[in-house]
Amino acid sequence: MAAFARALGADPADGVPPTYAAVYALFATAPQLFGDPEAAVDFANLLHAEQEFTWDRHPAVGETVTSRGRVAADMERRGMRFITFETEVTVGDEPVCRSRALFVIRGAAA
Amino acid sequence: MSELVVTFTEEQIAAYAEASGDHNPIHLDAEFARSVGLPGVIAHGMLQMGLLARVAGEQGRLRRLSCRFAGMVRPGDTVVFRGEEQGGRVQLSASNQDGESVVTKATAELLP
Repeated sequence: MAAFARALGADPADGVPPTYAAVYALFATAPQLFGDPEAAVDFANLLHAEQEFTWDRHPAVGETVTSRGRVAADMERRGMRFITFETEVTVGDEPVCRSRALFVIRGAAA
Repeated sequence: MSELVVTFTEEQIAAYAEASGDHNPIHLDAEFARSVGLPGVIAHGMLQMGLLARVAGEQGRLRRLSCRFAGMVRPGDTVVFRGEEQGGRVQLSASNQDGESVVTKATAELLP
């Protein structure tokens, strides 16, 4: 977490940077999508096009979170594939964060 | 209004890759990036968003943050990140040295 804060030029003493959600929400779950042969995601041509996070609260250092990802939409338009990937993060039964990512895969087969 | 000016470097992008666990070679390997049609390595969208969060306001108050990654950011680019709060809603922007917006539709919401 401290290295993450420093990479953003932030002071780790100020607490967990909000977009550490990239780690505990997005990258805790998206690799399952990218690695799923059935999803057939062309990772080399994938771009992260949009991102939204909403928080009920920010997890604290030392808390254990559970993140569950799902594909909310998957469509092709003008030779590009658009995947909306949503992740729900909980601490126990308590929801703390939601992530919604739009991935665009260029040059998807029509 | 809050403002942050950042000149991106390969070192910062590599440090973000290491700290975030996102080792996609489009951010780290220029030859690979060019092989998939990019001009060279590009910064992570999430690195840009992390910098946007820094100008969005006090981090404990942040309840929503969203943006569209509209342009590529490359090492050597200087990007100005700006946030302006009005009644708990924050309009965010990030534009490069050529005046191009690298993110669009960037907004945040803060707790009172």
